[in-house]
Amino acid sequence: MKKIILSGALILIAAASFGQLDRSVRPKAGTPPTINIKDSEVFTTENGITVILSENHKLPKVSIQLVTGSDPMNEGPKAGLSKMAGQLIMSGTSTRTKDKLDSEVDYIGATLSADGESMYLSCLTKHVEKGLLLMTDVLFNANFPDSEFERIKKQNESALLSAKSSPDEMSDNAERKANFPNGHPYGEIMTEATLEAINKVDVESYFKKVFTPSGSYLVIVGDVNKVQATELVNKYFSSWKGGPVYKAELGEGQLNKGNRVIFVKKPGAVQSKVTVTFPVKMKPGQPNQLPLTVTNGILGGGGFGTRLMQNLREDKAYTYGCYSGIETTDNGSWFSASGNFRNDVTDSAIVQILKELDEIGSSYVKESEINLTKSAMAGGFARSLENPQTIARFALNIIQNNLPKDYYQTYLKRLDAINTENVLEMAQTYFTSKNCNIIVVGNEEIIEKLKVFDADGKIEMFDAFGNVAKEIKPADITKEQLIEKYILANTGTTSMKAAKKVISKVKSVKQVMEMSAQQIPAPLTMTTYFVAPNKEAMKIEMQGMMIQKEYFDGTAGASSNMQSGKKDLTAEEIASKQKSAGLFPELNYATSGLNIELVGIEEVNDTEAYLLKIMDGDKRSFDYYDTKTFMKIKSVSIQKEGDEVIEASRSFSDFKIINGLQFPHKMTLMMGELGLEGKVITIEINGKVDETTFN
Amino acid sequence: MKKHLFAIATLALAGNVWSQRKIEYVEYDLPNGIHVILHEEHATPIVAVSIMYHVGSKNEIPTRTGFAHFFEHLLFEGSTNIGRGEYSELVEKNGGALNANTSQDRTYYYELLPSNQLELGLWLESERLLHAKVDNTGVETQRQVVKEEKRQRVDNQPYASFLTEMFARMYQKHPYKWQPIGSMEHLDAAQEEDYINFYRTFYVPSNSVLSIAGDINIEQTKKWISTYYGSIPAGQAINLFRDFENQSDENFLKTYGVAKTKFDSKNFLGSKDVEAQKLIKKYSAMPTVIPRPERNEPPFKGVVIDTVYDNIELPAVFIGYRLPEQTNPDAYALDMLNTVLSGGTSSRMNKNIVEKKQLAMAAFSFAFPLEDPGLGLVAAIGAANVDLITLQNALDEEVKAVQDALISQEEFEKLRNVKENDIISAYSSVAGIAENLAQNYMYMGSTALINSELPKYMAVTREDIQRVAKKYFTTENRVILYYLPKPKN
Repeated sequence: MKKIILSGALILIAAASFGQLDRSVRPKAGTPPTINIKDSEVFTTENGITVILSENHKLPKVSIQLVTGSDPMNEGPKAGLSKMAGQLIMSGTSTRTKDKLDSEVDYIGATLSADGESMYLSCLTKHVEKGLLLMTDVLFNANFPDSEFERIKKQNESALLSAKSSPDEMSDNAERKANFPNGHPYGEIMTEATLEAINKVDVESYFKKVFTPSGSYLVIVGDVNKVQATELVNKYFSSWKGGPVYKAELGEGQLNKGNRVIFVKKPGAVQSKVTVTFPVKMKPGQPNQLPLTVTNGILGGGGFGTRLMQNLREDKAYTYGCYSGIETTDNGSWFSASGNFRNDVTDSAIVQILKELDEIGSSYVKESEINLTKSAMAGGFARSLENPQTIARFALNIIQNNLPKDYYQTYLKRLDAINTENVLEMAQTYFTSKNCNIIVVGNEEIIEKLKVFDADGKIEMFDAFGNVAKEIKPADITKEQLIEKYILANTGTTSMKAAKKVISKVKSVKQVMEMSAQQIPAPLTMTTYFVAPNKEAMKIEMQGMMIQKEYFDGTAGASSNMQSGKKDLTAEEIASKQKSAGLFPELNYATSGLNIELVGIEEVNDTEAYLLKIMDGDKRSFDYYDTKTFMKIKSVSIQKEGDEVIEASRSFSDFKIINGLQFPHKMTLMMGELGLEGKVITIEINGKVDETTFN
Repeated sequence: MKKHLFAIATLALAGNVWSQRKIEYVEYDLPNGIHVILHEEHATPIVAVSIMYHVGSKNEIPTRTGFAHFFEHLLFEGSTNIGRGEYSELVEKNGGALNANTSQDRTYYYELLPSNQLELGLWLESERLLHAKVDNTGVETQRQVVKEEKRQRVDNQPYASFLTEMFARMYQKHPYKWQPIGSMEHLDAAQEEDYINFYRTFYVPSNSVLSIAGDINIEQTKKWISTYYGSIPAGQAINLFRDFENQSDENFLKTYGVAKTKFDSKNFLGSKDVEAQKLIKKYSAMPTVIPRPERNEPPFKGVVIDTVYDNIELPAVFIGYRLPEQTNPDAYALDMLNTVLSGGTSSRMNKNIVEKKQLAMAAFSFAFPLEDPGLGLVAAIGAANVDLITLQNALDEEVKAVQDALISQEEFEKLRNVKENDIISAYSSVAGIAENLAQNYMYMGSTALINSELPKYMAVTREDIQRVAKKYFTTENRVILYYLPKPKN
């Protein structure tokens, strides 16, 4: 009775108080919740697997992840082997073709995937036996068919090509080489040569060596209890045999004596990708890891409120975004801050990044800054827990890194306890503005302005894969001589008069090329037309569907595509087309008003080539001519469209003579992430070209 | 002996039993009519706070289409106590995420927050319901955003007009004949007053379901709900309060015959003045009538054939059939029928029309489950040089095959596996649970149905699939739309 009266009184109080509710007062957060992550069960098998079971009966689903225990291996001349092996593991087994494997996985609604270090299965509990049957078939019997090996190799060739025009990848490669020199596996980068050196036997022996029960982890998350898990592990994994687990003492990254500037050339770039990076002495789960993450969060760890964003974007408008992060691993950790900046502010941006690194270590951060970072981190952490994969990762981290069992349970409390004093200490201990690798990927026109940042004033030049770049040699001929030799070589003549005669006989050229790429489902057909003296057109089709069409009839033209419809060429575009019209635009270079410069001799895929730079307003082209054959083997064009910079790189090979003229029969086209391999189907000279091609 | 035990344990796993996890919840009505649903689970320290308003494009008047969707945008503009643009910022800054969406039948808003920010989420949604900023500045900004959205998602996408074109022909009377995106002309023509009236009519307590799922304490949550939502005036008193906040002294006096000064701005419902009390009482008792369309659409009879010219390269055919409302028991069999026809790469339409016969780039079959009778679509985009009649015949053949013969036992098993996986996975997130609970209450009239979805799917037989294929997919009653490339000049 007394209880009822009391609660009645409470209701009265509540009623009276909500009338007074001041809606302009924003509710404050409650105390951070503790996390209900149940302790995982851990047991080992006779063949050396550590099983981590994280029971979760919320849904009748199970995920089983096999994580191998090997340390990263030195791959040396075969750098990239682990990556390629990973891409190949799901290619079929001695009992199931790839198609059969895929369809059996689909039938039970499961997911089964693999990479170079692990394998992952997820399915409903009742299908777990079938799922494990398929998973262990891959684990025991993966057979790496030749056709798949070739397909994946080709895929990697395209990826390497695309890396050469990607500032992000070039910068990442340089970063790894700079922070991890002296043979650390993190500093080993796949190149065309190392990819070529990888063969099927390497992949097979890698797989055998790394996928061994000894030292591996089997992380089981979901709707199975310990008895069931034990039985499943015994039934499916007890017959798994293998050699000892590979372990190595890899050490960590090396801090520079002073600041070191590394430059990667990206011809014609209008902005630079700047990365300021250095190794950090930190391992996963060390007490300072969390406060250091908070410190980085305040400096530039994401969102608009960070110091780097406020300074470089909001205040100075140097960039759209500037962020920093710390990668923490058992085998070496590193800090990096990066952003893309206009050419003329690249040096100023470096000044500001270094200044922010200094400042966060010289005075306390504001309460509002630390609170924003802590709240965002707490929220992100909490939301991430809904995904069972997060729980699996936590369980594994605890075992692998010897963390306290309640490490993640107490995460939010530890986060909440971090104060401005901790942040100052972290910045002073781990951050530096005087021992950095400053990596700039960009236009070499800005290189002089970067010397001040280097401790010894000498800038190191890297290539796309983080190796020391070969220097450009001065050209031994003039640009006029180069053009003449190019025309003579192409026409198989010995005088310009004879060459022009050969060229004048070409009234039209129609070339059909088949283009294929990993990213597109069916090959594209690209047809290009030339009609003397100055008409040209191009269309791209996929299975009969017009994707894109362009034409220029000497005085006017247009381009159209599926999405945006037809757009007439602007007066500027027409003027530009007119300057470079003709079968051999090089013939008009002297009179067209284009700004031409012979830069020197550079290597293109191990071939020496003259580099000719052509400037037309905002537009830049870089053409490469083989120093021995004088064929044009590569052409890169860079163009601004609005705020966007469009870059296309074409490489030519397999030259054949048709009607006395040399035509490349193979072409590789790179545009951003998209890499297309083209081969000529037909070339028709002086055939009839339908007039509708030019309208 | 021990070995035996293990075997039994794994047998339990492998047995062909399906088990949908039971979703526990409590539900109740607040005196002002808000329906509250609370689902408590502590697996993850997060909470989904959502409100579903029973207003969609079918509640619009024919000269003001697109309003429901427009409001979804407008209601992020802020409230009396939340500055313009601050709504999203408050959520993100506190570790949360948010979004909203609009259908023909309802508008749905939600925040996903760390559970210690539940009170913030409740306050945010209560502000949106009680007194959102509905003014010309916000309308102007969002008009541009919505136009951009339409350009991007409808006008610029090949074939994307098929929804508009199909529904327009399938319905003569019912407001399903227009799409939620609506008409930009209507949005332009609308005045501030039209917007305010829409808010006053549909954004009221009795038209909303507050659904909360996640790491909550039910008792504490009820207390906060009582604070932030219990204090929202009932009936027409909510609009009395909105006028009290927005109108000038003079206008308010003119409208209600009582001066604003008689009310307590800090404690509106508790205003001491006798006249004020009387007015509040009167308006609280005055219900808000929500206009809902009649289910007056006659069954679809005959065949309508039409051609649409679009910015496309490949022709396509879209065939529409009238389907029952989503509460109809046949809905489950219809959904499974669609999976047989076009669920995944190994489905019949993909295997036969796309891969074997190579007549189409893509072929698909899907239903629009709606509160009132909806529609089902069977469609294909032709491969190059394939004429539309051949394509249409191929689609008809696939439908006929399901009508003429039962699907194979193996196909049926795979179908059940796929459905089971889908349904079980759908309840893996608290956001999904909150939405499902609200939806079941709002459309199906029973929140409890959330726990019987899987058995209902598993009760569907091969014969049911054949029966619904015959019943609804009749060649005598349908709309056929041919999509052809616009003639080029």
